[in-house]
Amino acid sequence: MQGWLDFARGPLFRFCFLLMVLGLLRAFAFSAAGLLRAHRRAGDRDVPWRRLVADTVSWLAPVGRLWRSRPLYSTISVVWHAGLILVPLFLAAHVTLFRNSAGFAWFALPQPAADVLTWLTVLGSFALFAGRVGDRNARSLSRRQDYLWPLLIAVPFISGALCSQAPLSPAAYQALMLVHLLSGNLVLVLIPFTKVAHCVLLPLSQLVSGVGWKFPAGAGDRVAATLGKPPTPVVDLKPSAGHEPTHEPVREEMTA
Amino acid sequence: MDRVRRLKTVLWFLTGVAAAVGAVRFITGLGVTTNLSDSHPWGFWIGFDVMGGVALAAGGFVITAIVYVFKREQFHPIVKPAVLTAFLGYIAVILGLLFDLGLPWNIWHMIIYWNPHSPLFEVGWCVMLYTAVLLLEFSPVPLEPFSAWARIRRFLIRYRIVLVVLGIGLSTLHQSSLGSLFLIMPYKVHALWYTPILPILFFISAVMLGLYIVTWESKFTAWAYRRQEDTDLVAMLQGSARWVALVYIAVRFGDLAVRGELAAAFAPGPHTWLFWAEIVLMAALPFALSLSRRVLRSTSGQWAIASTGVFGVVFNRVNVGGLAHVGGGAETYVPNWTEFVISAGVVSFVALVFLFIVEHFRVWAQRPADPAADPEALPEFEPVSQVSLGGPAHAARVRNSMAFIIAAAVGFALMPFERVERQGLRELAVKPALGGDTLFVDGNRDGYGVFFRHQFHVEKQGGRQSCANCHHMNLPGDRNSECSACHREMYRTSDAFRHQWHASPEGGNVACADCHDLGKPKSAGSVFADRRDCDGCHPKLAHDHKWIEVERYGAVASYADAMHGLCVECHRRELEAAAAASPEDQATASESVTEVNGGQDRRELTLCTTCHRGETLRQLRPDVMPGRETPAGVVRTQANLTPWNRRASRQEKDDG
Repeated sequence: MQGWLDFARGPLFRFCFLLMVLGLLRAFAFSAAGLLRAHRRAGDRDVPWRRLVADTVSWLAPVGRLWRSRPLYSTISVVWHAGLILVPLFLAAHVTLFRNSAGFAWFALPQPAADVLTWLTVLGSFALFAGRVGDRNARSLSRRQDYLWPLLIAVPFISGALCSQAPLSPAAYQALMLVHLLSGNLVLVLIPFTKVAHCVLLPLSQLVSGVGWKFPAGAGDRVAATLGKPPTPVVDLKPSAGHEPTHEPVREEMTA
Repeated sequence: MDRVRRLKTVLWFLTGVAAAVGAVRFITGLGVTTNLSDSHPWGFWIGFDVMGGVALAAGGFVITAIVYVFKREQFHPIVKPAVLTAFLGYIAVILGLLFDLGLPWNIWHMIIYWNPHSPLFEVGWCVMLYTAVLLLEFSPVPLEPFSAWARIRRFLIRYRIVLVVLGIGLSTLHQSSLGSLFLIMPYKVHALWYTPILPILFFISAVMLGLYIVTWESKFTAWAYRRQEDTDLVAMLQGSARWVALVYIAVRFGDLAVRGELAAAFAPGPHTWLFWAEIVLMAALPFALSLSRRVLRSTSGQWAIASTGVFGVVFNRVNVGGLAHVGGGAETYVPNWTEFVISAGVVSFVALVFLFIVEHFRVWAQRPADPAADPEALPEFEPVSQVSLGGPAHAARVRNSMAFIIAAAVGFALMPFERVERQGLRELAVKPALGGDTLFVDGNRDGYGVFFRHQFHVEKQGGRQSCANCHHMNLPGDRNSECSACHREMYRTSDAFRHQWHASPEGGNVACADCHDLGKPKSAGSVFADRRDCDGCHPKLAHDHKWIEVERYGAVASYADAMHGLCVECHRRELEAAAAASPEDQATASESVTEVNGGQDRRELTLCTTCHRGETLRQLRPDVMPGRETPAGVVRTQANLTPWNRRASRQEKDDG
């Protein structure tokens, strides 16, 4: 058993970790190259940088934007994401492991905070899964990985929490630790090849709509006009007054 | 293009493994990532990457000489690929050398700090200059599409003969000087390879390999790109190569005969096998095969001749570069897998550059069709998710980058990081001391230990009450456990507590919560106060009168440090006490110390020989420590003892 643990903690972890890092770099490079190509070919190359950056930053904390339509969902999602990022990176045990192998590390969360955040993340996983299954609209939009990810995320969190907090027998500890290591490694290796790649693609995701919206020139405005929506790629909750008149000519042009 | 496509994916994979392994090599150094050592600083990289690489690049000067000097115009179609291969070969040599150099950032030193007596200096300069010459020789090809460079291109073509002659001169110099490098090591290179005419043998085999590699490359690219094979040209080149092979065999065996080492070629041993494998592969087999006209003109025959010849000469370079170096019984060198992987990666990377150049420039009369430019190419799909990858060019990028990153992750996973953790210190389990009243303390069993008069120390320190002075801790259920019970590593600290063993179900079966406060992060800091040392669970492990306090159970001193710490420290204190006492006491103390030690003054603690007196157990009890037999019957130093290397022993006899 110790041999399996050493394998999962050593070579297997190194494989999964480096594949994650390189895979994310690759995903980012391909996305950026594709965007660049699209931008080069676009009829209208004027990219609204200021708005794109502002949108990207504001979507990092979606509570403000989604608060009116889905307050519960947005709260759970933000807490869940916070736990997902903070606990694996700043858990004292992980920091120690990293320091012992690489020779350097960073600060750690206080143990009680990490424990609470861990269980909040587990609860969040189940809540998000239930929300996705329970809502008809969400169901119709979901792929297989959308259901599997919250559940998969919960596995290393539950097993890790039990290992660190429960008074287990050595045999149970080793078994749970192996589950923790294997599921954690699986998460790492799947990140760049599934939707979780959004963790590095996020800065590009607003750019995609920003560029695509204007490809070909004026297309976005025409679509917006046809739908009777404000002329921005992203839903703006506070529509600026006076956008209607600017679109009258476009509509005319289309009908003509 | 299917073959090239697959080939490229494989090459990207190999480059990926090498990229990860190479990165670790540059971060952590040579000692932990390779099997190279101070006694074997030159190994597979020098043999294959540098000496094999330079020899593999010999096609450049051989073919340019044939075409531009001897005016054999029928070989003109293979000049450009031969020069390209040579240029990329030298790039591979330089890349490989950067991996091998301990301080690669000093590679420019030879330009400024001259050592004109060194063959390595000559090789360095020649390689540098010849790489530049090859670049100039080849650059008309990539410059062809750019009209802005047309004048420079015309200039290079007009004065090509100067470059060709320079290339031949530089090649002759350094192809042979690579052999001269080893003239400095008569005691290290085996007698079957070591000869004063090593440079001449290197030059002849370089010419031979130059002919073989050009034919091999022609065959290989014809296969990969499904091009028309140039059987006549290959047959002509291989036909000439056989005469070079014959000359090589004659010179090699003639030299062995003149030096009186011919019998060594039939002496049993691994080097005999290396020698014959090399002779058969590099010269005998290609020569025998190319005698038959039918074999010489058949595709499979040409493949066999080119492949054995190329493999054989490179094998010869690897032998001279490392494998034929004598270990003398002290240490043998077998390359680590990391060394093979990095060499394969360098070759793969260069091969990718080669494929890129032949696909984008007019190296051959007809450029191979670019699959990305095919307007009728169908989009490709990812095999698992069936997602469209777009056209062939983008699909190739997706596939090759995937191969690269998976390979890099595999290489990183397989790296021997436990060697890095040891920081080069060898793991060496300690063996307990031997004997009874007098102990022979020789933890690493190299035969050079210290005789420790145990019974004498017991009596001097006050009989059985004094055990605890030195035996400060015991194993559970044991009394006076030996030093090696806890100090288990010769040169590294060892874990006397054995945390992993205590926590495993098969071992101590102790749960985390038994010792650690689970409300805190698990570390030494969260252990309950009454569990901080062994006495918390095992009563009476430590003696009451102990002199030594254990500070960290998880990292106790190495055996060597523990032994030196105990003996030296105790004797030092004793002498300080004597010095502080009256002059009479001092004299008595000194006298008694000198007397009991057979006239040797043990106060000279800074001298190793005070305790390590060169007595070995092997000397006293050959049955206990069977060692290497030597004519004198006494083991002296480990160096210079290569009894089967007859040159060395002959030298010894001369000296004697």
